[in-house]
This record gives sequence, structure tokens and C-alpha cells, in this order.
Amino acid sequence: MGDKLKIAQPWLTLICRLVLGGVLIAAGVLKIGNLQKSAMAVRAYELLPISLANFLGYSLPWVEIGIGLLLVTGALVRFAGFVGAITMLAFIIAISQAWARGLSIDCGCFGGGGTIDPSQTKYLSEIIRDIGLMALGIYLYFYPKGRFAIEK
Amino acid sequence: MAANNNGDKGTRNLVIAMVAFIVAVGVIFSLISNRANSNYAVPAAVSEADGYGIVLNPTSTPKIDVYLDYQCPACKAFELINGEYLNEVIAQKKAKVVFHPLTFIGPESIIAANAAACAADENKFVDMNLALYKNQASSENSGKWQGDAMLAVGDSIGLRSDSFKKCVADGKYVKWTGNVSVASGKANINSTPTIRIDGKDLDRNTEYSDQAKFKAALTAGGVK
Repeated sequence: MGDKLKIAQPWLTLICRLVLGGVLIAAGVLKIGNLQKSAMAVRAYELLPISLANFLGYSLPWVEIGIGLLLVTGALVRFAGFVGAITMLAFIIAISQAWARGLSIDCGCFGGGGTIDPSQTKYLSEIIRDIGLMALGIYLYFYPKGRFAIEK
Repeated sequence: MAANNNGDKGTRNLVIAMVAFIVAVGVIFSLISNRANSNYAVPAAVSEADGYGIVLNPTSTPKIDVYLDYQCPACKAFELINGEYLNEVIAQKKAKVVFHPLTFIGPESIIAANAAACAADENKFVDMNLALYKNQASSENSGKWQGDAMLAVGDSIGLRSDSFKKCVADGKYVKWTGNVSVASGKANINSTPTIRIDGKDLDRNTEYSDQAKFKAALTAGGVK
């Protein structure tokens, strides 16, 4: 069994890199075309001062693309996996507090964002999805070396 | 073998440098392009101090801010329920009303906001505002407001001047819509419509869709 895991690990790492990296790139690209909406999404969480929320709204999509590119190409995988996991943790905390405080917002994770009708909130599925993605990041932190990576 | 390793390290560092460059340039570009630019052309009725909004009755009090997107269905619903009363308040100069056409739903929002601004220059903003909502498509980003659509809407309210047509065709106030968006971002506007009286939000759950409650909210805010 241990041997099978040893053989599988580089492929598992590759899969984690492609999934987490691909999701991050998609999330970033979908926001780039409408940065005003991206900033609106961050403001709607009511967690940060307005100017900081706006700054994050404008810059986060680029960071997502950057981390996603590192993961997909396989460079600085341990670092990128760590940052990816921390980012997911931040989203989980932000969505959870919005849910707990009774805000009704779209998480804005893939380009939506802002206040929405209470019947349309999808907090639980968003949190579960982000827990899964965080797990991929954690796995990559511990097993950063895999197939088809720029760094050996 | 050693040469291969150095080559690999070189490729790796190159990739990392390229990614860092993309992120840095992207962030800087986004921060710079999402600031208000006071050099952009703005309609005569626009006030930079009022978030670059279109101002009706600049000297009246209290001040009512209306943040909207012409493609937003909830904004159309608000207009159909409470627009008539708000227009009366404007006509009787009982309040200073500032309209902020936002454009986050899509490119057709920009087309509509530009047309509304062009109409403001011809003193027909209030009519154009209502006409746009009545002309709203049944779904967002449908393509209905491409081509000559804005000229047809203008025509429906008797707006046929060459200056209006040129303003629409040239997209004269498209850059202004960016200023409106940036200013509304600083004002923490996160959905449309959003209505404030002297800076205080009305309750979107009760006062936007009820005529009596809306009137009461305005009266409580100082509208006589």
C-alpha cells in the first residue's frame, strides 16, 4: 500500500496543482473584466475599511492568476500551495461571518458579488467548495514535487 | 547533467519572474485605471462633489441620492412604483436629487448611462430616465441596446436634436461613467437600486417597493 502511494503521489500532486491552479486562474480571469464588481463584492462582506476593500477588489484577481500560473506550471509549488490554502481559508472565514451576521451576498468568487436576495445565498456550498480547495493547497504544501513541473 | 540542471533552474526562474511581472503590471494598471479622472468630459448637470452624479435642483434640500443601473430589473421595479412621486418631488423642487447611473451589469449599461447623460445636456434627463427603464430588455446583456436603440428611445421622448445624436454616437460621456463607478465604490454602494437621503440609506426591504413607505421615508428625511 505504501508503495502504491509512493507511485501515485507525483500524479496526485499534478492533479492538485492543475485543479487548484485552474480554479484560481478562472476565478481571477472572470473578475478582471469587471473590477468595479470585484471591488463591490469585497465591500459587501462589510469586513474591511472601504478603501482597503476596494484595493483588494482591484488586486486580488491578479494575485489569483499569478498563484494559479505558478501551480499550473509547477514553479514555487510549496509557496503557491501555501498561499492558495491561506486564500481559501480567508474566503471560508469571510463567507462564514457573512452567513452568521445575516448578510445576504454573493461570494463574488467567480465574478459575481454584492448584495443579493436572501433566497439566493449559497453559503454552505461555497464553504464546502473552498474547504476542498484548501485541502488541495495543504496537500501541495506537504507534497510539492510532482509530474510535469518546471521545478525539479 | 549539470548543464541540464542549470537550464532547468534558468527556466524556472524565468517563469517565476514572468509571473511576478504579470501580477505587478496587472495590479498597478488596475489601480491606476480605477480612479476618477476630473479631465473627462462630464454633462453640465454633473457635480464632482456629488460623486459625479447628475444633479437636479442643486440648491434644494434635503439631498436624495439614487444609485442605479439601467439594466437592473429591481431598479426598473423601483421606478415603476415610486418614480412618479420622485419626479413630482423634482418638479416641485422639494429636494435636490442626484442620479448615479452605474454600469457594472455590462456594456449596455454604459450605452444607456451615456444616453441619459446626453439627454441631461438637453434638459430631458427625467424623461430619458423613465424611457430607458420602460425600454429595458427582459434579460440582462441581451444586445437590445446596441446600434440605434438609444436614438429610438430618445425619439420616443421627443429628443431628436443633432447634438443628442452626436453625443450618443460619439459615446461622449462613456469615460464619465467610470468616474461615477469609482465614486460610488468609495460611497460603499453594493447593490442597485440604492437610495439615500442626506447620506442615510433607506431600507431596501420595506421602503423601495411600497409607495406609502417611500413617501413616509422621504418626509421623515425632510421632504415637505
